[in-house]
Amino acid sequence: MSARYGMVIDLDRCTGCGACMMACAAENNVPPLPQASARTGLTPLLVRKVSNGLEGSDRREVFIPILCMHCEYDTPCVHVCPQQAVEVDKATGIVMQMPQRCLGCRYCMTACPYHARYFNWWDPAWPKGMEKSLNPGVATRMRGVVEKCNLCHARLHAAKEKAAAAGKREIDPADYVPACVEACPARAIRFGNLADPKDPVAQESQSQDAFRLLAKLGTEPKIYYKSKEPWVQAMAEPNSGPIVEAKHV
Amino acid sequence: MKVTRRDLFVWGAGAAAGLVFTPVPWKLLDDVSIWTQNWPWIPQPPRGPVEVKQSFCSLCPQGCALKVKTAGGWPVGIAGTSTNPLTRGALCPLAFGAHQLNWHPQRVRTVRHNGVPSSWSDARAAFAKACSEGPVVIIDGQPGRAASTVLASFAEKHNGSYRVEMSPETRALMPFESWTGVSAFSLGYDLENAYTIVSFGAPLLDGWGVPGRFTRLWAERAAGRSDPQLRLIQIEDSLSHTASRAWKWVNIRPGSESAMAAGLARALIEEKLVSARGPMPVITISAAASQSGISESALGELARTIVARPPVLAIASNHNPEIAALNVVLGAVGAHGGVVRRSKRTGKYIPAEAQIPNARAVLIDSSVPWDFAPDSNAEIFRFVAWDGGLQKCDWLLPAAGFLEELTDIPNAPTSAVETYAIAPQLSKPQFEIQSAAQFLVSVDPTLPTVEKVIHSRCEELFHQRAGTVYGQEVTGVAKFDSAQKLEAELEKASTWVGDPPPPGELRCELREWPPTMIAESSQNWASTWNAPVLPPLATKLYRESSLREAPGRRTV
Repeated sequence: MSARYGMVIDLDRCTGCGACMMACAAENNVPPLPQASARTGLTPLLVRKVSNGLEGSDRREVFIPILCMHCEYDTPCVHVCPQQAVEVDKATGIVMQMPQRCLGCRYCMTACPYHARYFNWWDPAWPKGMEKSLNPGVATRMRGVVEKCNLCHARLHAAKEKAAAAGKREIDPADYVPACVEACPARAIRFGNLADPKDPVAQESQSQDAFRLLAKLGTEPKIYYKSKEPWVQAMAEPNSGPIVEAKHV
Repeated sequence: MKVTRRDLFVWGAGAAAGLVFTPVPWKLLDDVSIWTQNWPWIPQPPRGPVEVKQSFCSLCPQGCALKVKTAGGWPVGIAGTSTNPLTRGALCPLAFGAHQLNWHPQRVRTVRHNGVPSSWSDARAAFAKACSEGPVVIIDGQPGRAASTVLASFAEKHNGSYRVEMSPETRALMPFESWTGVSAFSLGYDLENAYTIVSFGAPLLDGWGVPGRFTRLWAERAAGRSDPQLRLIQIEDSLSHTASRAWKWVNIRPGSESAMAAGLARALIEEKLVSARGPMPVITISAAASQSGISESALGELARTIVARPPVLAIASNHNPEIAALNVVLGAVGAHGGVVRRSKRTGKYIPAEAQIPNARAVLIDSSVPWDFAPDSNAEIFRFVAWDGGLQKCDWLLPAAGFLEELTDIPNAPTSAVETYAIAPQLSKPQFEIQSAAQFLVSVDPTLPTVEKVIHSRCEELFHQRAGTVYGQEVTGVAKFDSAQKLEAELEKASTWVGDPPPPGELRCELREWPPTMIAESSQNWASTWNAPVLPPLATKLYRESSLREAPGRRTV
């Protein structure tokens, strides 16, 4: 039976510590290029801070981890890729990016409604010797290709290998946990198989507080968010309120 | 048949058109794109057997438990250890890139004397000469370690002085030291049993204490609930990460935390919301309200809200006697869900910033944060793994980086129970490094080594027959056959956790309301780091997101 991997991110629990961003970047060998900026850097998972737009004691802020939403239907990046470098994996539902096929046209970046894709402007480079600290499970990528979250696909491979070595066809769910989920100190990010009705994450995705960003587009993202705050839920759709991205504090 | 020029063109065009329908061009394109992504100058991850090992982080006094993935002997990935009872699998964001720090460009690679490369033997000779000429001050940043015992023994033996640079969390507990007679290093917060926590600017969710302790506690008992089981009230001058997640944020004027604490104490006593347990603050409610920028009625309402759900605990971000005194008024000292005594050890330390008159030399351990600068004209021997620049030191001595030496991990500063763990060395040192303890042993070979002190500590734990060891399994110390077996278990990065102290063991006497003292507060995770540098990935992500700015640390 094919799985549909997805997440539920509880925004009421997120403290904006950034552990998920760090763990993601370390797991995926993202280079710490000093020349990169907020526009040109690689951040497969980016925590944004948004506010309710009010001032003084009425002001409230939440932190929203933004990553590839792994759209299930009419996946925009898949449609526009001239190289077939993006595809939705039928077995897992993960939107896969194949850097070997990518020619760097960046159509997919334009098409992505979540701005969750990043272009590799420079060859990967680390300070001398630091390549010894890279994760051997993930290859470094060349400049000129687009990158994004692949739900730590290398960890899925490792889990499959472990299952195969034990003579099993199905992986143990405990063996496949993306780095950001593992890192979250508040357990705000939860990961599971949305196609399995018994999976707690699948059940949580159907709760009253759960919502998806830009759900109206009908692309069926597999990343769900959750909050009890009405203004946070309203933020999920455009033109719904005075949402302002907070600046540095 | 005559082949014409036209036939050649037709054949060529046909071949070109036909080729498109074969796999050849696509395979070529694929191969070329793969080939162009594997240039020899593109860094490749290390090769070798992949293993998962356990250790502890020693980059700040919290000592979080780590699961370290290694490849070919090099750490290549960090995660939390979920079986550890204190950290519960959580780490601060910086820890996830800590394994990169050993390769940081600002790593101190050689001994330097006034900026010029020198040698360990020269440093040793200079230090021995200084010891023979006058008193030596030794400064430690994480007391309670085996290395600390070596440092303190040297100071004692050579008529020197052993001092401690304290973390902001320990400084916040310092006022209780004089009121209870118990060392601030033996006190902690019983967060698990508190139902209301009033934080005066302490970054409880953003770099305070062990992240796995309070963040998990808050997530389980408070997050997303309109009437949470644990009420976190943040009194702060700006909407910090903690304030934005608190049950209630009280926006006050900058620097008015002390006035606010005194005003709350006065309101609690005047309105008889608590049974009077301490002296009346000098400040009036109207003055406190005026200084902190909130109304008198709001202050009174806040006082009533605070005591509505006891036990209540007030936490300061740094040394602040008035906030500590509020805990006395609230009856939180020595009570469930308050300030508790975790250990019977009574060791008190001289703070590092105390005047250092007539010192001939100052030796600073690598556990002391780089920002600390001794107020002395003595010759300074500073052990450090990374050079943060802009600090005067005569001798810069390369110390162990991340996981490059065996060390032990004593209590975290805010822990309510006593703990002990051993952090094995997991990374090969790349340069000729020495810890301050090794250096002192080389100067005076009669001192005990770190390994011997760890061994003695394990024997002491074994003979106490108290506490529990949390590793792959949970085992009471009483079940271990010998001290060697206990030590072997701890060397596998298990954690010994002492039995919780009985309540009411802490008597507190506060005769008069303390004077106002304002200390700088810590800001976030990076504030408590020993290292003057951040992992390059943290620098990058702070720069590329709007989450926060890199806080005054050197960047790559």
